Amino acid sequence: MPSNSPVRQISVFMDNKPNQLAGVMSILKESGVNIRALSLADTKDFGILRIIVNDTDRACETVKSAGYAAAVTPVIAISIPDSPGQLSRVLDILGGDGVNLEYLYAFTGASDRSVSFVIRVDDIAAASESLNKGGIIQLTENDISEM
Amino acid sequence: MERYWNEEIECASREDMKKLQDERLAAQVKHVYENVKYYRDLMDEKGVKPEDIKSTDDLHKLPFLSKADLRDAYPYGLLAKPLSECVRIQSTSGTTGRRVVAFYTQHDIDLWEDCCARAITAAGGTNEDVCQVCYGYGLFTGGPGLNGGSHKVGCLTLPMSSGNTERQIQFMRDLGSTILCCTPSYAAYIGETLHDMGYTTDDIKLRAGIFGAEPWTEEMRHSIEKSLGIKAYDIYGLTETSGPGVSFECSEQTGMHINEDHFIPEIIDPETGEVLPEGSVGELVFTSITKEAFPLLRYRTRDLCVLSRKKCSCGRTLIKMTKPMGRSDDMLIIRGVNVFPSQIETVLIEQGYSPNYLIEVDRMNNTDTLDISVEMNPDQFSDKVGDIQDLEKSLAGAIKTMLGINPKVHLVSPKSITRSEGKAVRVIDKRKLHD
Repeated sequence: MPSNSPVRQISVFMDNKPNQLAGVMSILKESGVNIRALSLADTKDFGILRIIVNDTDRACETVKSAGYAAAVTPVIAISIPDSPGQLSRVLDILGGDGVNLEYLYAFTGASDRSVSFVIRVDDIAAASESLNKGGIIQLTENDISEM
Repeated sequence: MERYWNEEIECASREDMKKLQDERLAAQVKHVYENVKYYRDLMDEKGVKPEDIKSTDDLHKLPFLSKADLRDAYPYGLLAKPLSECVRIQSTSGTTGRRVVAFYTQHDIDLWEDCCARAITAAGGTNEDVCQVCYGYGLFTGGPGLNGGSHKVGCLTLPMSSGNTERQIQFMRDLGSTILCCTPSYAAYIGETLHDMGYTTDDIKLRAGIFGAEPWTEEMRHSIEKSLGIKAYDIYGLTETSGPGVSFECSEQTGMHINEDHFIPEIIDPETGEVLPEGSVGELVFTSITKEAFPLLRYRTRDLCVLSRKKCSCGRTLIKMTKPMGRSDDMLIIRGVNVFPSQIETVLIEQGYSPNYLIEVDRMNNTDTLDISVEMNPDQFSDKVGDIQDLEKSLAGAIKTMLGINPKVHLVSPKSITRSEGKAVRVIDKRKLHD
């Protein structure tokens, strides 16, 4: 996989009622998929589960065949040093180049001296180029699945 | 080539039909007056004697019967034959108030099944067909009515009743069913399950469906026809008049021919009870002129529709009724606006959503609220909260355009709304709990 190809995120629609998340987790458990990063967006009516896994194709097929509405979206994943001001630097780089952020969430990387983020933008190419110029390390799907 | 079950009746001239109706009506009024005290009292109260009713032109002189009368007279008050001559009862689901029980002599069963045989024949059925009946059997009239009609036509009849949908599809494939009889909501579910099981319409031999017992829209018809690869025919009836087969659709699919040699229809103004001219929208009223055990005269169905004698391309001369625009029981009054669930269903199908939905009406701070849960179309799902909220807003806008009032739309997971195997529950009106 080329180093600049984006990471694929799976998102799953969750009804606002008990046992929804548990249901998806149980399906993923049975298919042996491991979750690397996770975030849950919630509204008054529904939620959206967003995950990065070690086997995107299998996880997505499993969840869809269980009847969930799911989608695969390209996102950017970065790894930055675990020290004050690092995320602020990233955001300044993106903001300076006019990249609009939809949402982001953090996950733990391979090393305890670094931290990783999933970043969702509309224009992935522009964001990727901007981060490259700014010297920010971008992770590939392979990097994440080998973590 | 159009086939008829009883061409002489179905294609009779207006004069012949009226003559038959006149004779049957006069005899029926006499039978009811002599044997049903409840109705005799109503006639006496109005000052009407059996000899005043000489023809259908005198029909308007008779008193109406309503569901409330059936409840008052429960169980035997409207019975016109001794129990020794009755062979069967059927009953309504009784979800609102006391249930209605209808009685049948063998003659009544025969005429009812004959009406269903006309419907099956109009849908192209012959003794070469395999007819799968997935209406509920038992007290509900759907299963027994179509079962009997299918026997008369000579179809190989599969008395499946409803439920166990995968088994329904297995029988449909193994035995090569060609005609399906069930509620339209169950037909939609069977279609959905067929495709979920990995089959297509090439894997089944169905070519016609006869669907009734609940309101359904033209959009739903098209969606079922596509999903099952069939032509879908409407059938109408109610337990009070016998069951399905009071009227049925022909190949023209533009309304249902009423078996008016048995049931005389009228359209009235639901407020005043005044008979309205042909072509007016109003409440459908039926007079049974051949039934022996439970012959209701001028029974108010609460169904709103239009009657038409416009010439039909199928050759039948039987008067036609439009698909009911809603049972007045189904009509919701929300913030003073009349709302039929079928209007909401029309918008959903137009916008590419599943016809499985749930309407919840409630009252908050003296204002009615309308919440509609709709199954998300998996292709429209996005990882962004805002996109889903935009879908909800756009659907709410389309519904507002149709109804004139603003609903709150909630998208829910695909296939998460309970599927119906019989009559679908689409509306929960919580206001009744507060009143």
